[in-house]
Amino acid sequence: MSFPEPLQKLIDEFCRFPGIGPKTAQRLSFFLLSRPREEAVSLAKAVIEAKDKLRFCSQCGCLTEKDPCRYCSDPRREQKLFCVVQEPRDVLRLEQTGHYRGLYHVLHGALSPLDGLGPEELRLPQLLERLSQKEAGELILATNPNVEGDATAAYIARLVKPLNVKVTRIAFGLPVGGDLEYADDLTLSRALEGRREM
Amino acid sequence: MSERSYKTDALVLYSRNLGEADRLITLLAWERGKITAVARGARKVKSKLAAGVDLFTYGQYQFHRGRTLDLITGQEVKEHFAAFREDATLYPYGLFLSEITDRLIRSEEPCPEPCALLLEGWRLLCDETLPDRMLLCRAFELKMMELAGFCPYLQGCLQCGTPEAFFFSPRQGGLFCSQCAGGDTIKLSAGTVALARRLLEAPLDQVRLLRGFDLQRRELAASAAAFRRYHLDIGELRSLQLLRSMNLLP
Repeated sequence: MSFPEPLQKLIDEFCRFPGIGPKTAQRLSFFLLSRPREEAVSLAKAVIEAKDKLRFCSQCGCLTEKDPCRYCSDPRREQKLFCVVQEPRDVLRLEQTGHYRGLYHVLHGALSPLDGLGPEELRLPQLLERLSQKEAGELILATNPNVEGDATAAYIARLVKPLNVKVTRIAFGLPVGGDLEYADDLTLSRALEGRREM
Repeated sequence: MSERSYKTDALVLYSRNLGEADRLITLLAWERGKITAVARGARKVKSKLAAGVDLFTYGQYQFHRGRTLDLITGQEVKEHFAAFREDATLYPYGLFLSEITDRLIRSEEPCPEPCALLLEGWRLLCDETLPDRMLLCRAFELKMMELAGFCPYLQGCLQCGTPEAFFFSPRQGGLFCSQCAGGDTIKLSAGTVALARRLLEAPLDQVRLLRGFDLQRRELAASAAAFRRYHLDIGELRSLQLLRSMNLLP
């Protein structure tokens, strides 16, 4: 089936998105065409505005409209507590919990040499500089709990050792609402190691 | 090979993100050689596949044949090599073993020997009493090359057969004596040649008994890199780049 050229172009553009196949792209395109023109213009404007106005914070590396970002420039946040995450979206996820009041540092990846990501590709010199400047008290390593994330955390712990900063790793264990029966050995053993007194 | 689903023991060689929450996994299976398969939803917190499809895992996997890629539908972990994720200095050595295996073993034929060698290599690397990790990596590389049919000839001169051969030719894949050596050879010390022969011949678990001086380690590294580049078209291994950036290479 061949679509009119503008429609085909729209479908092709949607197809570039992660997780969007040709069928979904067609559905999204037809939905958009069925809506009033203003809605389509508003969507296009939102895309351009986000692309033009958002940048990475020069200090922590998270997505922001203003540089430095609202987390780095907020004096009410704990200035000696740092949390290292892999991606900017991890910052938003941690903020949603409402349980963290320190500063962030985004690495923009994890050590994965087979994917071409070595220590030089991560924002590690900036991290060391910030830890020294702010005389950090604690560094929380919140990289993903997979091999790459764990190895990155171990690498950073080794790197910051000379700075005498307390380094902690986020806890591992069972997901809320899950059954013990279905947990894998590694998660269970880590949950046992990280048990706490009640 | 026509059944819709199958089950096999395998080692996870490589794992990378795919789409929203999936992972694309490369496995080395005893009965099926190299398999590339998708683990659907493996990045989600409650995924039952997540723990079994991480790098450095040995387990039994169930697959469903897909049109393009097979799907991993179940897993049972037999051995987790947690030391690789907890020790930053060990991680690149484990990657080295995986990367070499991934580059050398390409077929979908049964490969019990490479699987057993990689499993043994991971186990030995995780042993805290191992005195020299890089030497184990060199022995592993030679043995994996031998299994893949690429091993350099180290017994004597390729031309006249004399055992007093200390010139390595990456192009011709072997040693030459001083009389037969051409211009494209790397001069090796007698100790390096003896060490390379022992690394190839001795069982992997006996590498812990061998020692290498800095000169021998450097000569072995240079010869291996030149051989890989010429015969396998492999530039510098990415795991070696990480080792270098961590100052773990001589």
